[in-house]
Amino acid sequence: MNRTVLVIGILITAAIVALFAFSFGRDPQHINSPLVGRIAPRFALRAVGTGEIVDIESLRGKPVVLNFWATWCMPCHAEHPILQQASRALGSDVQFVGVVFGDTEENIQAFIRERGEAYPTLLDDKGKTSIAYGVGGVPETFFIDRNGKIVAKYEGPLSFEMLQTYVRKVLS
Amino acid sequence: MTGTLGSFLILAALLVATAGSMVGFAAGRSGTPEGLKWAQRFAYAFAALMALATIVMETALLSHDFSVKYVSQVGSRAVPAWVTIVSLWSSLEGSILFWGFILGLYIAGTTWVNRNQHVDYMPYAIGVWLGCAAFFSFLIAGPANPFGTVSPVPLDGPGPNALLQNHFLMIIHPPFLYLGYVGMTIPFGFASAALLRGRLGLGFLRPLRASLLLPWIFLTIAIMLGGWWAYEVLGWGGYWAWDPVENASLLPWLTATAALHSAIVMERRGVLKGWTVTLVQASFLLTILGTFMTRSGVFNSVHSFTQSSIGPTILVFLAVAILFSVITLGFRIESLEAEGKLETAVSREGTFLVNNLLFVLLTFTVLIGTVFPLIVEAVNGRQMSVGRPYFDAMVVPIGTALLFLLGVGPALPWGRPRSDEVKRALLFPLIGGVVLAAIGRALGVTNIWTLITLLFGGYAAWVTMSEMWMPLVQRMRRGDSFGTALVQGQLRRGRRRFGSYVVHAGAVVVIIAIAVSSTMRTSHEARLARGQSAKIGSYDVTFTGAETLAEPHRQSTVAHFRVMSKGKFVTNLSPRMNQYQTMREPIGTPDVHSTLTGDLYLSIMNVDVGTQNAGVLMITTPMVAWIWISVILMGLGGLVALISRP
Repeated sequence: MNRTVLVIGILITAAIVALFAFSFGRDPQHINSPLVGRIAPRFALRAVGTGEIVDIESLRGKPVVLNFWATWCMPCHAEHPILQQASRALGSDVQFVGVVFGDTEENIQAFIRERGEAYPTLLDDKGKTSIAYGVGGVPETFFIDRNGKIVAKYEGPLSFEMLQTYVRKVLS
Repeated sequence: MTGTLGSFLILAALLVATAGSMVGFAAGRSGTPEGLKWAQRFAYAFAALMALATIVMETALLSHDFSVKYVSQVGSRAVPAWVTIVSLWSSLEGSILFWGFILGLYIAGTTWVNRNQHVDYMPYAIGVWLGCAAFFSFLIAGPANPFGTVSPVPLDGPGPNALLQNHFLMIIHPPFLYLGYVGMTIPFGFASAALLRGRLGLGFLRPLRASLLLPWIFLTIAIMLGGWWAYEVLGWGGYWAWDPVENASLLPWLTATAALHSAIVMERRGVLKGWTVTLVQASFLLTILGTFMTRSGVFNSVHSFTQSSIGPTILVFLAVAILFSVITLGFRIESLEAEGKLETAVSREGTFLVNNLLFVLLTFTVLIGTVFPLIVEAVNGRQMSVGRPYFDAMVVPIGTALLFLLGVGPALPWGRPRSDEVKRALLFPLIGGVVLAAIGRALGVTNIWTLITLLFGGYAAWVTMSEMWMPLVQRMRRGDSFGTALVQGQLRRGRRRFGSYVVHAGAVVVIIAIAVSSTMRTSHEARLARGQSAKIGSYDVTFTGAETLAEPHRQSTVAHFRVMSKGKFVTNLSPRMNQYQTMREPIGTPDVHSTLTGDLYLSIMNVDVGTQNAGVLMITTPMVAWIWISVILMGLGGLVALISRP
């Protein structure tokens, strides 16, 4: 019997099992946002259609759902009606804002004409706001509380239930 | 009905594998011929049941029987028949069934080939194989059951993963990978049988080596096909990204390559038995680790299956398999004592030892780089990734050292050579190295690592060629005609040796091609309106327009380019941008013009059909095609060595 082989082997087995068992349930696609818990980066962008400038700081006092999307993004198409419906249902309690990047004003207007718009859609035509928020892909949604602090970030298309859970979090 | 039949076959396979495994171990202990006969019958029965279950699944897929869960997940009436056939391995549950099918083929085939031989070892080997088979049957019967039934029965399904339909390489890459991965179970069974027996005789080396060589050939081809697919589909112009799943396929390949070499020393000198057996067991364990990496959803990779519940089950199997290996090794490694001894370090066997250490070092380097993000997150919660700089910094020097050995090792004589023999053997091939490095320098190579690679590569090529054709030359010197010398010296008697050197030739070419292609590539990004051109290398690339294509599963924007060189038309290239229903980012599909000297690679960064503008990434890379060619050489060489006579 070779004790060294046995001891080293059992240690390796234990280390591998412990490491992988710990890693279960972790979503490897998910990246913790350093922005969560901090004040949302400031931006002032022009709304598509009205041309009005919307400043994030002017929305303080009300929770904000900030959704980054684009017309070329197919999961965003699936998410769009859910956000519209939630925005109408929640009325004045929560302010929804859409930010579109990597896209053109004509594309967005055509999209909105076809599918409706319940809240302002801002065009981030230089992509600076998306970079400031560390957006890695669309759709991505930030939940900002009354004081302008980012409470949570969600990557990928939201379901109605997920959206409700997060909105509850910003309202509390 | 189909679902019930499939489930029944899998449960029967589970029963047969479990019983057969127990009978195998019992027969190994008692040594009764009747026990071995029964173990063999169970092995054939397992293979037959798995084959039937796979036929049932293929029939369900082809007849669009959406009452079967797996068919409802990956089937579709809209896709062509060949897509339907390959959907068997397009998703998790089907791919595990396919795994079981291949495992059955391997077990039954090896049992049949050795039905009257190695009777001391075979019962244990069958016991180990069927033990693994029982685990996979359990996986198919339980956590990854493709034969569940769906009610109400849907009228149609979504079709398989879009990436599978995107390129023909995705159809052939997975079967080769499975043939490589699953095949490692066979040498694992043989090695474990040697340990359980407490003996590893020279006669048993042949099946051990052959059983390792076959999956090694498949794995070599699979790794190359994976790289080729990444190059042709993913759009960043490279073929290897050190992605966890790519690494997972490389790890068992590295240990298996080391084991193939240490087995030669074992055969020649009777030493390194315990070491070879350890490497063989490690190769199998690394395939299971690789399966865990792809199937558990723990690693971030473009190749992963989606998060699944089978991760914990595979982890338990991995732990049991490692413990089994550790215990058999711990208790029996000393009984495989050396029969000979190594004479000196400056000999062929000495370089084999260094080769083995380097392969193991490389395995650890890649393994640590792959799991390091998990370790960091487990320890302090920080997320990180280990990328190219780490792997390049670690792998390039080790790879270069291996290339050096690829030249020096075969040049050195066996045993205890005299110093003038050593000098003569080592000096001549330097001509090849210096000439190749000089050619490289003249063609503009400046990177020091690439120049060293060319020097060592030229050296190794010289040695490989002279060793490869030595039997032919010797026979012709003795007066044989060229034809007789070729057939007798290379293809009849020296087949194994000839095959091995063909593999070496392939390895030399692939290392040089990787070094040159990764350091000599040029890229240029251009924003072009329709009719505008950009220049890269000797090519003039003109944007001739863009269009949108709508397909049921995706939307594509295709940009068309005309490529000219020195005023002459070369080709038209049409890279595209695909947007899939299920993906957050669009996937670019590049288009490549490939020649023996180099490739022109076009990939779209953005494109606007309305204004007819396109941002294009143009890359020229020398020698890429040689990577694919050399792997064909390696596969063919391996095959020639495999069918050699004892």
